[in-house]
Amino acid sequence: MTEDVRGLLADAFSLYRDSPRAAGLLREALEHLEQPLRVGITGAAGTGKSTLAAALGDWPTRALRDLALIDDPAPGTLTDATVRLFRHLEPDELAAALPTPRSAFARQTAVDTVLVLARADEMGAGRIDALLTAKQLARRAWREDPLCSGSQGVIAVAGQLAYGAHAFDDDEFELLAAFAAVPREELERYLISVDSFTDPAFPGPVSVDTRRSLVSRFGLFGVRLALTLIRTGSDSQMKLSAELVRRSGLGELRDTIAGCFAARADALKARTAVIRLETVLQAEPRPHGDRLAARVERFAATAHDFRELRLIADIRGGRTALTGEPAEEAVQLLGAQGTAPEERLGLAPDADPREVYAAGIDAVRRWRHEAERPDRPPAERAAAHVVVRSAEGLLALFA
Amino acid sequence: MTAPPWLEVLDETLDACRTHGREDLALRLRRRRDRPSGGTRVAVLGFPKQGKGYLVNAVLNAPVCAVGDAPTPAVPVEIGYAAEPAATLVGRADERIPVALERLTGEIGARPTGSLRRVEVGVPRELLSAGLVLIDTPAIGDPRSARTAAALDVLAEADAVILVSDATTPLSPAELALAHHVRTWCPHVLLALTKVDVCPSWRAVAEEDRTALSGAGIDARVLPISATVRQAAAKTGDQELNARSGFPELLSWIAEQVARPADRSNALLAAVSVRAAAAELVETLRTRAEMAVKDAGVDQTTLLHRAQRKADDLRKRNTRWQNLLSDEIADLMSDAEFDLRERTRHIVEVIDETFDRGDPLKVWDEFGPWLDDTLVKAVETNYRWAAERAEWIAQAVAVSFGEQYEQPDLQFVDADAELIGEVRQPRIEAFKIGQKMFTGLRGSYGGVLMFGLITNISMGLGMFNPVSAAAGVAFAAKTISDEGGMRRQRRQAVAKMTAQRHVDDVFLRFSKDCRDAIRGVQRKLRDHFTALADELSEQLAKEREMIIAGSAERERRTARLRGEIERLASLHQRAGELGLLAGRAPRELPA
Repeated sequence: MTEDVRGLLADAFSLYRDSPRAAGLLREALEHLEQPLRVGITGAAGTGKSTLAAALGDWPTRALRDLALIDDPAPGTLTDATVRLFRHLEPDELAAALPTPRSAFARQTAVDTVLVLARADEMGAGRIDALLTAKQLARRAWREDPLCSGSQGVIAVAGQLAYGAHAFDDDEFELLAAFAAVPREELERYLISVDSFTDPAFPGPVSVDTRRSLVSRFGLFGVRLALTLIRTGSDSQMKLSAELVRRSGLGELRDTIAGCFAARADALKARTAVIRLETVLQAEPRPHGDRLAARVERFAATAHDFRELRLIADIRGGRTALTGEPAEEAVQLLGAQGTAPEERLGLAPDADPREVYAAGIDAVRRWRHEAERPDRPPAERAAAHVVVRSAEGLLALFA
Repeated sequence: MTAPPWLEVLDETLDACRTHGREDLALRLRRRRDRPSGGTRVAVLGFPKQGKGYLVNAVLNAPVCAVGDAPTPAVPVEIGYAAEPAATLVGRADERIPVALERLTGEIGARPTGSLRRVEVGVPRELLSAGLVLIDTPAIGDPRSARTAAALDVLAEADAVILVSDATTPLSPAELALAHHVRTWCPHVLLALTKVDVCPSWRAVAEEDRTALSGAGIDARVLPISATVRQAAAKTGDQELNARSGFPELLSWIAEQVARPADRSNALLAAVSVRAAAAELVETLRTRAEMAVKDAGVDQTTLLHRAQRKADDLRKRNTRWQNLLSDEIADLMSDAEFDLRERTRHIVEVIDETFDRGDPLKVWDEFGPWLDDTLVKAVETNYRWAAERAEWIAQAVAVSFGEQYEQPDLQFVDADAELIGEVRQPRIEAFKIGQKMFTGLRGSYGGVLMFGLITNISMGLGMFNPVSAAAGVAFAAKTISDEGGMRRQRRQAVAKMTAQRHVDDVFLRFSKDCRDAIRGVQRKLRDHFTALADELSEQLAKEREMIIAGSAERERRTARLRGEIERLASLHQRAGELGLLAGRAPRELPA
């Protein structure tokens, strides 16, 4: 796919040789094909972009290694995907922030956005079940709000907690463990508010400043959650950290970014380049531009990655008839957990190629059957066709 | 009991609002005028997710309002005193539907949007027993939405307003604008800074909000509160914790609102509302007046100049296209005729050549159809060429008229080549056997006679002898041959003449046709563009008239608007005096 796009851009480049502006834009897109995938983090002021960028960025994962996070990219910056932060997922807020893609190509292949309900720990007046409430809210918005339906996911994340959770050290854990050791009834009244937590009357020898820094790093909710977790078995810094990250929603966000963006870096970068090319074609029409536009269209029509990503979003967002086990298998085959054949088939990474091949054949056969069942609605059969195509694609690697 | 003095001012302002098409303002004033006497109404307003519901519930110590992620109703909820908990949905037509309080949220959700006017809730709380009504409003959002309008309409009946903004962020520009609007309509406003329990930096935010409010000239207290702390305090009965929640202060502020004497309060509210309405109306009218002035003053002369320029332009264009048309048509006519003449001349040359050598008797069968074909071709080519030129002329004229105008559909009449008759075969006499014999006999007779006489005289032979007989034969042959040649020449001449005459006929006829067609084109173009020019000049004339008439009309309108603005300013002034009577110094209209 990248080769096609490179050829397309090279042809466009020669067409626009005499326009420094257009040539510059095209060159940037061409060069970007060699660079890491760029994920922009956007959102209104006060949504916690930088905190989340830091939380995502400081986390060394294989999946996110070849990925550049851009905190609040300036308009015109070339980004391949976007993590968009919202405070409340209110309709006004969503409508104002979600742009309509300009071109038909961008619309057809709009698989580049993940929405985040940021500051999830503030839901429900900061009660201990705030994150669950926020998760439900996000899930409902993804399923029901048409404004959210075009995204690859709506994920509730407590950014501050996530950032605090992976970066905290043994001293902090010791501190929290000491607090957790205080009888619950005694401690409770000091956990009602930030003011009471930093009250000089707080039991124990920990200084007000230490408590203040703790609460401003984790948030009051984070402190409460950490204490509850320590009491219920997260008895080491590692365990607590992992559990806090998991609950903060950061893990889910990271998986989504890894599965929908990082694993599809080439497709998304190609898409960015093609959209850039379209912008140039529209801004400075040329006599032979229509030929390039036709090639853009063909590119959109043949790029299976985009279809896979859209279908993954549709299945997960509950906008298909697929549920339960078949839905799980479908998103796996579509590459939601990784695009390698073993990952698509749910096999161990070092599985015997013969086993992989056999499983692939099996998947093709079963989904082809699904795709051809006359008693299913056309939309469902069309979805099954996409899965078949994915399964056939992985068999093609053995050819 | 006499009507209070504020009523008159209010009614007058109300009328003005209606006259100038601000039904919304009129409605608010009417509600202010007709609001039930007695009771104190405190509205809670704010943007979404700021904690309005939590605040109301915490004030009442009862879960009356939907909180958290539950959808908040799109209509105001009025909470007043009742011995038994009760809820009533009030529909658009003021129909009242009692529902159980526990099922309130579900019942509201089940109604179609827009079918309800408000919800009334009664709870047995001592706080409310003195006639206090708390109004929870839909979240302010999109300024054009029905929710926002419903929330802002509550202002018309509110004695006091609690604005809610959370401590996670300082007041946004939109929140500040809302505060400003609320303060213009309602004299008593408090900003409740919520969620201070979870925000470590709430003190800084509170300070920032205070500065922002006073910077915008909004006189409102900022009170940090926490519903969570209040709830915890209520659970444990901890007085100190309760004090920290900020609620005791909030409640005492509410009590102040309730304690205010009703008549003074009414006068002040009326004064503030009139001033708010008058100020908004003046703003509307001033914008209108400014627009009118801008239309009139600035552009009156410019518009006339522009119209004049357009007329001059049109005149110039008129001369230009007319000249162009007549020149081009004259050229086309002479060119077309010359072209046809050239074509026919070539044909005539071929005719001459053909009949200089060929015998019509032998070649006519072939020549006739050729001539017909060639003529048809010549005429058609000539016609097509002329039609193309005419099209081109039309374009050129259209361009010189102004490119944006269309050219007429020309439909140059096709050459009707069918009309060219076939060339008729000239009468050609063939030299038949009988004629030949007769001619031969004539020749031989002459030869026999001549040689008979000579031999008769010189040799004494008889008239008819072998010599004279041989001479007769020779003479006969020569005569026949001579006669044949002559006849052929005659035939050639006849054929030439016939063909040439035919060509001439065709030429005459079709050069006339072509000329007519060209004239037709000329006439068509002339009519089209003359009509267009007439239309344009008529438009221009009308435009000028409108510019001239418009200025007078505009001046009248501006004067009327100015008068209205003055009247409203005086109402504003009077309302200010009423406010002064009610014990509060008026703030002057920033005008």
